[in-house]
Amino acid sequence: MNVLPAAVAAQPPGSGGGTSPGEAPPILLSRQLMEKEGLEVGEIVSLSSAPSGSHPGRFRIVGVYEPVADPARLGDPSLAARLHLPDLIDLTRDAADPQSLERVGAVNVKLAGEPDVSAFDRELAARMPGLEVHPTVPLDREADPFVVLERFHLAIAVVTVFASSMFLLALMVMLVDERRQTVAILRMIGLRRGRILVQVLSEGLLIALAGAVFGVFLAAVLEDGFNRFFRWRYDTSLVFVRVTPQIAARSVLLAVPLGLAASLASSWSLLRREALSLARR
Amino acid sequence: MRAWTFAARSLVRQPGRTALGVMGVAAVGALLFDMLLLSRGLVVSLRELLDSAGFDVRVMSTDMPFAGPNVTGVTPAVAAMRRLPEVEDVVPILFGEAAAFGRDGGPVELTLFGAETGRRSPWTMLEGEGLSPFAGAPPLIVNRNLARALELAPGTAIELRGACRDGAGSLPASRFRVSGIAEFPFDEASALTAATTLVDFRRTCGLEGRDEANLLLVASREGHGPAAAVEAIRALRPDLHAFSNEELVARFQQVGFSYFSQISTVLSTVTLVFGFLLITVLLTVSVNQRYAEIATLRALGFARRRIVLDVLCQSALLVGTGGVLSLPLGLALSTWLDAILRAMPDIPARVSFFVFEPRAVAVHMSLLTLTAVLAALYPMRLVARLPIAATLRSESVT
Repeated sequence: MNVLPAAVAAQPPGSGGGTSPGEAPPILLSRQLMEKEGLEVGEIVSLSSAPSGSHPGRFRIVGVYEPVADPARLGDPSLAARLHLPDLIDLTRDAADPQSLERVGAVNVKLAGEPDVSAFDRELAARMPGLEVHPTVPLDREADPFVVLERFHLAIAVVTVFASSMFLLALMVMLVDERRQTVAILRMIGLRRGRILVQVLSEGLLIALAGAVFGVFLAAVLEDGFNRFFRWRYDTSLVFVRVTPQIAARSVLLAVPLGLAASLASSWSLLRREALSLARR
Repeated sequence: MRAWTFAARSLVRQPGRTALGVMGVAAVGALLFDMLLLSRGLVVSLRELLDSAGFDVRVMSTDMPFAGPNVTGVTPAVAAMRRLPEVEDVVPILFGEAAAFGRDGGPVELTLFGAETGRRSPWTMLEGEGLSPFAGAPPLIVNRNLARALELAPGTAIELRGACRDGAGSLPASRFRVSGIAEFPFDEASALTAATTLVDFRRTCGLEGRDEANLLLVASREGHGPAAAVEAIRALRPDLHAFSNEELVARFQQVGFSYFSQISTVLSTVTLVFGFLLITVLLTVSVNQRYAEIATLRALGFARRRIVLDVLCQSALLVGTGGVLSLPLGLALSTWLDAILRAMPDIPARVSFFVFEPRAVAVHMSLLTLTAVLAALYPMRLVARLPIAATLRSESVT
């Protein structure tokens, strides 16, 4: 159970006037909070749910935990504490509201068998009107921020592939042009257009395969560097870049046909011309 | 001037490869331009949005903007702040959720604001009046979406059931009369929003007797400015946390928006390196193919400096033409990318991820110029060191 936000003040062990450290309820603090406040396990901390720090509760730090990384709170250090539910209710109770002793923010439920969130929602609504059911896996994928980010990254990838294709085509045109005389000689000694086309495509295939494999290798090498940088930058255990076999396969499947198409497009002007016109300077 | 003409003719002589090179630079330049717009887009957009609301200071209970508990003791706090010479107006705000009932009887969930407006209000009236009692019933201002969804107009009666805090139980419905239709600056595109007075908000949400607010909106007095107002509020109430719009934006930039800033930095860097490598390769291959021509020109009396300048001018023309084309292309691309990102939940309709700034054009042009110069260095070196006699002999034998 997280208590956020709350005022935290530390006291050295044993300095709690009249309350020995053994009597203070236990509490776990997040690593980030421990580092920010310079706390140590065994210390007594005062925790208050009021911004002014009034009516604090006293707790003994019994451990440090690494919060589950939350992409939605990137850059926001997880200053959080975990305490037993009765201690939290006692800390946050409102003297003017007796119901506050019976109040929790949410109840985590693990459905038995094949989970049917809609059926559970209907049944709960019939028995306890006013409660809302939120599945841990969002039903509306369109509104998921990470689906939106995925779409954005895909759009960037499309633009990058377009730019790369232009450059690739320009390079292939130059390389093919450089071999105009060679193609002319091959044609004059009897090689047919189809034979030369197969050769050009084979070369294009080899270059595209080599480039795609090198690209995947480079991404795999850079993966660790990117993750290390962003984990350091945001103080999180999240994984930012992951080169999966599916992504590698998708890259190769996109790059190879593009390379072949560039080879074919750039060679076309040479192949459709007569051998003599190619040989002419 | 003659070097530019010479370089232009060299490029025009190979229209296919030149066009492809320019298109490639334009695509890379457009992506770079978009990343520059993205790097500060949200910050500029949010800053404009905060300023447009008419309040330049926000007061909260903790230093965690919009995430902390409510400000307590609001009435004395507002009265004391209004007396400060640096402050022109203070508006306490509460926000929660409520359900209205549509024509089909089904509940329609909406965001409900409670505000004690003075000379200023945090919304823009489009139709009707502000929060003044209307025909004896508590007033309610609605946004266009809600007015359309429930077929509301000034004077229409509506019932709301508050759902403002966990565990508050089922509250009785409160009857309101719509006094006006307004635009709320932080509304999402499809948001259903309504606002009423603080007193009526508390009654609807079962919060009577609680002198609380989520935040206080403060307008600084002209001549003093937000910084002076923030200082005065901090001195008056050290237990509260006051932020100027500038401080809030800086805070969001550090926390909420840093992902886009980082991704734009990474992509800008990758784009520049990519552009640099490809232009270098294009120019190098081009120079390699022109060894005979260059050696002949040198033999005819062209100075080394003139030939080197020719390569630099070719690079500048390729990158310059592509760079100029990349600006409209980038603006069009940013519209598409912005539409993708604005599908994110909880993004106000008036916020843009890509915002045009003249400084972005200046940075874009500077980076492309640098790329053009760096990309030309290696082929320029090749040309400068070209041995004239050996090249002519070699090309002649070939």
